[in-house]
Amino acid sequence: MVNLTINGKPVQVENNTTILQAAESLGIEIPTFCYDKRLIGHGACRICVVEVKGAKALQTACTVPVAEGMIVETHSPSVIEARKETLKLMIENHPLDCLTCEKSGNCKLQDYCYEYDVKEGGYNGEKKNYPIDDSNPFFTLDRNKCIMCGKCIRVDNELQCTGAINYNERGFDTHVGIPYDRDFEQSACVSCGNCVSVCPVGALMPKHPEKFRAWELRKVKTTCPYCGVGCQMELLVKGNKVVGVEPVNVDPNNGLLCVKGKFGYRFIDHPDRLKTPYIRKNGELVEATWDEAYHLIAEKMLETKEKYGPNSLGGFSSARCTNEENYLFQKLFRAVIGTNNVDHCARL
Amino acid sequence: MKMLNVTINGTVTQVPEGTTIMQAAAQLGIDIPALCYLKGVNEVGACRICVVEVKGARTLQASCVLPVSEGMEIQTESPSVVTARKEILKLILANHPNDCLTCNKAGECKLQEYAYRYDVKFEEHQGERKNLGIDTSNPYIYRDNNKCILCGRCVSMCAKVPERAVLAFGNRGFETTVVADNNKTMGESNCVSCARCISVCPVGALIDSRTMNIARSWELQKEDVKCAVCEHGCDFQLLKKNGKVVAVRALAAGEGRPLCLKGRLTVDLTYNDNPKTPLVKKDGEFVEATWAEVLGLDKILGKI
Repeated sequence: MVNLTINGKPVQVENNTTILQAAESLGIEIPTFCYDKRLIGHGACRICVVEVKGAKALQTACTVPVAEGMIVETHSPSVIEARKETLKLMIENHPLDCLTCEKSGNCKLQDYCYEYDVKEGGYNGEKKNYPIDDSNPFFTLDRNKCIMCGKCIRVDNELQCTGAINYNERGFDTHVGIPYDRDFEQSACVSCGNCVSVCPVGALMPKHPEKFRAWELRKVKTTCPYCGVGCQMELLVKGNKVVGVEPVNVDPNNGLLCVKGKFGYRFIDHPDRLKTPYIRKNGELVEATWDEAYHLIAEKMLETKEKYGPNSLGGFSSARCTNEENYLFQKLFRAVIGTNNVDHCARL
Repeated sequence: MKMLNVTINGTVTQVPEGTTIMQAAAQLGIDIPALCYLKGVNEVGACRICVVEVKGARTLQASCVLPVSEGMEIQTESPSVVTARKEILKLILANHPNDCLTCNKAGECKLQEYAYRYDVKFEEHQGERKNLGIDTSNPYIYRDNNKCILCGRCVSMCAKVPERAVLAFGNRGFETTVVADNNKTMGESNCVSCARCISVCPVGALIDSRTMNIARSWELQKEDVKCAVCEHGCDFQLLKKNGKVVAVRALAAGEGRPLCLKGRLTVDLTYNDNPKTPLVKKDGEFVEATWAEVLGLDKILGKI
């Protein structure tokens, strides 16, 4: 254990804890852009800098481990000045588009500019001027809004392990992209959208036909219905319509989703979606109630079993069902029908 | 009452004589944008954002003031209407600070809402811009005339308060601004800080100073309460952040004598988890006062 003092408050934390984590344990909030507890410390954005007594320069709280007797100030005048300067440099080369930006209301750059009262950069320097990359069918990449925190790249390489995106070029021209600046369609990208979920600004944004602002949304926590993993996610709901999905950082998915969970929600309001069972009557499919459908299935199964024996029937279950449902399904076939012909689609 | 037949966006409906196009559309669930319109207070057709296409009319018509007539055929989102609205928004934005990044009104701003709806962005231009000072002379009212879109809501609202009418339009043309008394600061003027002007401002020109720099509108949970000081029962809103009441603001005023300073301060003291010291104007200056003093409880408390 290590003893240190943060903002005058003594705290004891385990060895190898970062200053940021130690501050968190005291309920002190330090701003971060590039930090994500699931990722290897990066220390790139410099917004988390703090004053450590005796240190030559301000230290990045997200990467510097605590040391015995350390005295830390997280909001001293020099820290605030440094954070303001960092924000000014970011906003100087960022389109001032909060008026209509889809990220507005959910943007860390906007949050911290408000908190530290930064309205503009004031340098009148060069600005990035990239076309918006919409080569992926599920999301857009506006490199003009990118603040180079590298979260998207690190999630892609460290957690998703696809390795589709990385930094291209150097210096002022550094930008996130596919090697050789190809389109997303020509890349290894699997459109999982985890880069989109972690982007702190409006650079990586999901494509959607609906118009909505972040503050108009209601979040509904649910379990992804696509497979047996049971990823935890939040549906973004406007009025009564699902307009987006965000992963939740808990077991089993720890803030990750796949392309189906992240972007495959539009079936919910799709006009072709089947909402009632249909029964073929005189060659035509007609709407039926669930009771009618179940009766018909049971009748046909019993009829087939009587006529051709239990092994003439087979059950094929779905990965979308829960373990309990799959257990009951095999029980139905083994115990009620009397056959071992039970299988599973394994994946969708 | 005579009923009139009108067709709005292809849907036929019947409304009583005297109904405006905007009201008739609202009955059909059609939302027509409005910046200056405020029912019963400011029905002036000034901002032009509510224009609609009326078959046979020479030009687009302001739907907030034009009553429907028999057989009227109206389009509320036709290409020419949308073009006009975009142009109006472009003109407003051309002379509006690009400050949604840190503006306290962001998230509740009508200009932002409609700019998003009609996909109009700030454009760089060489034209003139307003360059007026920010008036913080009144500790309760933050006034930034650079953000004012001259809708006139605050002026009409202020005129409804007996013996006030502090706010008015001053100057002409590009120089037009909302002024307090004879172009005094809010602090110097006869303003009694009833905050009715703030409650109706559609943009970030008038903001309750006590809600500034606390939180963004989208971080706040809102709860409506009624003031219990007198029989009017004015509506106030508690702004909560992480479960704590961080500010109290007045909602749009109704009839009677609503949103008085006494009521506002009482609601603030009753609900706010950390109320700021009240300020009272003495000899033209705002000075810190005790709660007992501002609420007129001095004498009673002295007797206890």
